[in-house]
Amino acid sequence: MSGRIVAIVLGCAMLATTVQAKDHPGKEQILKDGYQGPKTCETCHPGKAREFLGTVHWKHASKVDHVDNINPNEEYGMKNRIYTMCNGNDIVNNLKEVPPNALGKTKFTGCNTCHPGDHTSDVGSTGSEAEQSIDCLICHSFKYDFSKRKAVKTKDGKIVMTQDRSTEAAANIGKPTIKNCMVCHEAAGGGAMIKRGFSMAKEAEVHVSKGIICVDCHQVKNHKFPTGRDPNNWAHDGIYMTCVGECHSAKPHGDAAYNKHTDKIACQTCHIPKTGGAFSKDFTKWEKQANGFYEPSTLKREVNETTPVYSWYNLTVSNTPQFIGPKGSRTDGKSKIYPFKIFQGKAYFNKKDGQLMSMDFAPPIATGDTLAGVASAAKILGIKDYEPVPGWQTIYFGSNHQVTPKNKALNCANCHAVNGVLNFKELGYSIKEVEKLTNPELYFEKLLKQQQENE
Amino acid sequence: MKKILSIVMVMAVMLISSLTVVKTASAEELKMTGTITKIELAADGKSATAVLKDSKTEASVTITITDDLTLDKFKDKRIVEGDEIRTKYEKSGDTNTSKMFKKTAGC
Ligand code: HEC
Ligand code: HEC
Ligand code: HEC
Ligand code: HEC
Ligand code: HEC
Ligand code: HEC
Ligand code: HEC
Repeated sequence: MSGRIVAIVLGCAMLATTVQAKDHPGKEQILKDGYQGPKTCETCHPGKAREFLGTVHWKHASKVDHVDNINPNEEYGMKNRIYTMCNGNDIVNNLKEVPPNALGKTKFTGCNTCHPGDHTSDVGSTGSEAEQSIDCLICHSFKYDFSKRKAVKTKDGKIVMTQDRSTEAAANIGKPTIKNCMVCHEAAGGGAMIKRGFSMAKEAEVHVSKGIICVDCHQVKNHKFPTGRDPNNWAHDGIYMTCVGECHSAKPHGDAAYNKHTDKIACQTCHIPKTGGAFSKDFTKWEKQANGFYEPSTLKREVNETTPVYSWYNLTVSNTPQFIGPKGSRTDGKSKIYPFKIFQGKAYFNKKDGQLMSMDFAPPIATGDTLAGVASAAKILGIKDYEPVPGWQTIYFGSNHQVTPKNKALNCANCHAVNGVLNFKELGYSIKEVEKLTNPELYFEKLLKQQQENE
Repeated sequence: MKKILSIVMVMAVMLISSLTVVKTASAEELKMTGTITKIELAADGKSATAVLKDSKTEASVTITITDDLTLDKFKDKRIVEGDEIRTKYEKSGDTNTSKMFKKTAGC
């Protein structure tokens, strides 16, 4: 059994490496004619640009049907959501130049810098101009010069995102690598490993150490990216994935004792025992930096420093101004125990209607004045009747990456010893049941045998 | 006499070695934010030095970088001259070895 798993894993890994090794068949042509943007690709791959305009990566939104208190006919995502990991969205934090700070310095800021358009064609835009503005190479090139991708102000005062459209970059393309994806994903949430706190370095992740990368697990078809049910990753391309699929079955262990657990316990719970990144931010008070700019005050940990919190999750999401997180229970027949990182953020709520407010970051970046940021965002959104009061929001992030080597996966005693990682009582087990679940009888023989084998 | 000498020698060696241990252990960890004025990659690609101008004091500090992730960011120019960096580094003698080297980024 485990031999078969090894073979499958190796197979996946080989798939990953062999595909990358061969040259892109369009290379000669591109070297000869140069690169004029998506239309060059479309001479051989017709329809790809238009197809891309319909995806989450372009729209930063989709209809969402598993979250409470939202309108099922509207689209949600980074474009318009408001939460406290980043207290704004693409609308109120549309790419702009911040006013000069006390030292007279300015800079560009905006959530939509993580959008593969040029800002003239922005999040969710359509039509042939939008098609031709897509930065295909940011995901597909191995020779992308990232110094060419930045916000600049044109002579007529417009702010655009430039791209590397060199022949050199276009001639070296293929399936996206980890690096291509991490251009945007690493710094989500305001800096490297802040939101997700997972590392995709070889040492940290068993799949990566075997050559399995983002797109081997996220098998993208027609630019639709499969995703999971993280309670704070709402927008999706209509395809869901879990750890179980082509590479792993729902009962993948040679040892039946582990397989018995997979109906009630998600794979991630045992295999991703640590996470990291920011666990709290205060958007009402920004810290002054050495360069004279301000940043939201953030408490953070290294990757691998945070022990997750474990909750039942039935893949539907509770969403109120104070809480965004998993719904589920031991008894609903649909839930499993999943690992989460709990994040708590302080921001302004509108006393008039209880809703969380958003913030335009440009004013506080320059001066630290957070209420000016709230006022600017309210103006952009046309909210007139408001009274901002500070308050806290708790949000849960799924812990779905950084699979640890198998000798560090949670074993019997990690959970069934009296000081185990699961709080059985809080998870809904009765006192009687907890006694049984923490009785060494459950694991003693097994672990003793393992210990003997290892000595 | 010979014996005493050798004991003294041994003690001296021990003293020196314990001193050197103390020296490395006392390598300071420092922090700064600054703008990169120069990046130089070693020919073998396994290390690089970056000169940073401290945003507070305007002093120039040369930092040696050896971790692959950061080196990679120099190679594909995700980090370039002119970028503002937040760094933690270990000062030991004349070398400052980077322990963290990240672009400053707001939310
Ligand atoms: C002269 C024709 C031609 C041009 C121009 C061209 N391609 Fe291709 N491309 C091909 C062929 C042929 C294949 C292999 C068959 C297939 O997968 O459709 C391919 C395959 C691919 C693949 C799959 C690679 C893999 O390893 O799985 C990607 C991605 C791709 N091209 C992207 C692009 C992008 C982006 C551009 C524009 C910069 C582009 N192509 C321009 C002909 C071309
Ligand atoms: C130009 C920046 C950028 C690049 C490059 C990028 N992403 Fe994303 N990605 C985003 C943003 C922003 C979102 C969130 C949009 C939202 O939820 O509104 C996202 C969402 C996702 C999602 C969840 C939503 C969905 O479409 O299913 C997945 C999965 C994902 N990205 C995987 C990848 C992979 C794999 C790569 C590399 C091939 C990649 N991304 C490259 C910016 C990027
Ligand atoms: C460095 C790239 C980057 C920047 C800049 C960025 N984001 Fe994101 N954001 C992402 C990615 C990638 C995702 C999806 C993956 C994830 O959640 O891990 C995402 C997801 C989100 C989501 C969840 C969307 C959903 O579908 O539920 C929200 C809300 C969000 N971002 C808000 C913001 C705000 C507000 C800003 C600006 C203040 C911002 N982001 C700036 C990369 C970025
Ligand atoms: C956000 C990242 C991203 C961007 C931007 C992007 N692609 Fe892709 N593309 C992917 C991924 C991921 C795959 C699937 C690769 C795989 O697993 O084989 C893919 C596959 C492809 C393929 C081969 C498979 C197929 O669907 O035919 C072509 C051709 C392609 N892309 C062309 C383009 C062109 C042209 C553009 C610009 C208009 C573009 N891509 C923009 C991520 C991206
Ligand atoms: C070993 C397989 C694997 C690899 C490698 C992988 N992912 Fe995932 N990813 C998953 C699975 C499985 C989920 C969904 C889990 C669930 O919700 O049950 C997921 C979820 C996500 C999500 C949704 C938000 C979240 O964190 O749950 C994003 C965004 C994402 N992945 C992006 C990436 C990017 C970018 C890379 C490469 C840097 C990557 N993934 C590499 C398996 C993988
Ligand atoms: C109750 C904890 C637990 C759960 C739940 C769990 N695993 Fe495991 N798994 C382990 C431990 C511990 C090991 C290493 C010891 C062993 O192989 O017996 C392991 C080993 C593995 C291996 C390596 C097997 C080998 O022989 O090399 C794979 C692959 C795996 N698990 C996948 C999964 C997947 C997929 C799921 C979800 C369907 C899952 N696991 C759920 C604890 C768990
Ligand atoms: C991630 C934590 C976790 C790990 C690791 C784990 N268990 Fe469990 N185990 C549980 C939970 C939770 C239950 C209760 C599941 C349910 O509600 O059906 C359980 C139930 C059991 C039961 C059934 C108890 C009963 O009477 O209902 C046995 C027996 C058991 N585990 C043995 C083991 C053994 C042996 C190992 C190691 C091979 C192990 N467990 C590893 C969490 C864990």
